[in-house]
Amino acid sequence: MTTVIRQLGLYLGWQFRRASQVVPLLIVVQIVLAVATVVGYGYLIGDAPRPVLLYLATGASTVSLVSVGLIMTPQMVARQRSEGSFDWVRTLPLPRGVLVAADLILWTALALPGMVLGLVTGTVRFQVDLALTPWLPLVALAVAATAACVGYALACLLHPMAAVLISQVLIFVVLLFSPVSYPVERLPDWLQTIHHWLPLEAMADLMRACLLRHDFPVLGRDVAVLAIWCLAALAGATWALRRRG
Amino acid sequence: MTDQPTLVVHQVSKRYPGRAGVQANDRVSLTVPAGQVVGLLGHNGAGKTTLVGQIVGLLRPDSGSISLAGHDAVAQPGLARRLTSVQVQTACALEGITPRGAIRTIGRIRGGSRAQVRARADQLIEALDLGPWADRPAEQLSGGVARLTAFGMAAVVPGALVILDEPTNDVDPVRRRLLWGQIQRLAEAGTAVLLITHNVREAEQVVDRLVVLEQGQVVAAGSLAELTADGQRDLEEAYIAICGRSPDPTAAAPDRLAEPQTAGSAGSENRP
Repeated sequence: MTTVIRQLGLYLGWQFRRASQVVPLLIVVQIVLAVATVVGYGYLIGDAPRPVLLYLATGASTVSLVSVGLIMTPQMVARQRSEGSFDWVRTLPLPRGVLVAADLILWTALALPGMVLGLVTGTVRFQVDLALTPWLPLVALAVAATAACVGYALACLLHPMAAVLISQVLIFVVLLFSPVSYPVERLPDWLQTIHHWLPLEAMADLMRACLLRHDFPVLGRDVAVLAIWCLAALAGATWALRRRG
Repeated sequence: MTDQPTLVVHQVSKRYPGRAGVQANDRVSLTVPAGQVVGLLGHNGAGKTTLVGQIVGLLRPDSGSISLAGHDAVAQPGLARRLTSVQVQTACALEGITPRGAIRTIGRIRGGSRAQVRARADQLIEALDLGPWADRPAEQLSGGVARLTAFGMAAVVPGALVILDEPTNDVDPVRRRLLWGQIQRLAEAGTAVLLITHNVREAEQVVDRLVVLEQGQVVAAGSLAELTADGQRDLEEAYIAICGRSPDPTAAAPDRLAEPQTAGSAGSENRP
């Protein structure tokens, strides 16, 4: 166990040093995404009643958390696969779980500044007073980790070019066709049904409930959906790394 | 203690699926004893990198067996990776990391103690004349220095088997000699070394045995004396006689260990 923890620390340090090259760019992208989500939706909707503003104010933080894992992770992993460094890492005597855990910690950590920025932008722009719950860090971690695991598994299983293309499509799905910055009832029934089983709705609901506890309840179903997706995505990412062609 | 070679590859076959499925390895057998350098020669697409992928558990053979230090490497890929150090031909994810830091970290990941790894890293940096670049971030390094760093990462705490895939690519002639010397040192210390190279002229100075792969099959194997008819021809002439073409060192495009390539892509190892 000590060896595994030591290896995790060493590999995590390696990955953080490598990521330090792109961290400034990642933070800029997150700021742009967060501000674009908040300000852009504000322009689209115009003067809106308070319930709508609550969705807009909290949606950007969820978008930031999700976008790093679901969109940037596949792009980074696809790049590593294309240049060959991904295969080299897999030749190291590291348990596959250590590889997943290190990347998960890295991407989750990188997602957190964007979440905070998105939240600050939203609350200032729409003049919303937050009412936080103690569960917020745990939920934010679960959202970021789940998104990163799904993105990681996608990047491992698909051709690198396909992974990049899908991640770009996912940007639009997350921003426009997911009940993150507006209520799910606005979507057509068939899309509502799909979102009931996908993790995005549960992620957004739980984040809202943790940010505005007086306005949104924590639903048991959301907790279950997110927990199942989190575990399944973790297992999927580990399986994808263990898979031998 | 057993007399069994460190690496025993027996009748390994690997076919990539798909409409244009290709037989990357066809009943390949070879051995690498402890303390020896075995050269694996072959053109791009001959199946060399596919074989390496199977030894370290990134690919699963369709048939055949691979034994590493007496263990079944196919059944225990994690153990195979602990027993094997690999210098791949492609990038090693060094951006933001210095050669000294990279060699030390990999040594620690491979289980070396802090003091042991520091001493060995310093020794390798000096032996490979990497001193002037040892503490510069990798993005400021030339391809040759990055490759020497990758060798250092494979050699710092070597496993029972060290696999070197084109270790001298981009390395200047002076440091090439230093590198070949370090490869010999690895073998003298008891490590089994599998050396993949196109550079037959230089390789013949260090290898104990050679295996030539062509279209996934072993077409020749033996000691240097056996392949060169006791020195009556040089190794390059022998290679041309066996394969009907030059080893062409300029064709050393990067291969991938585990990812099937699209048809006709540069550097693909016999893959669809």
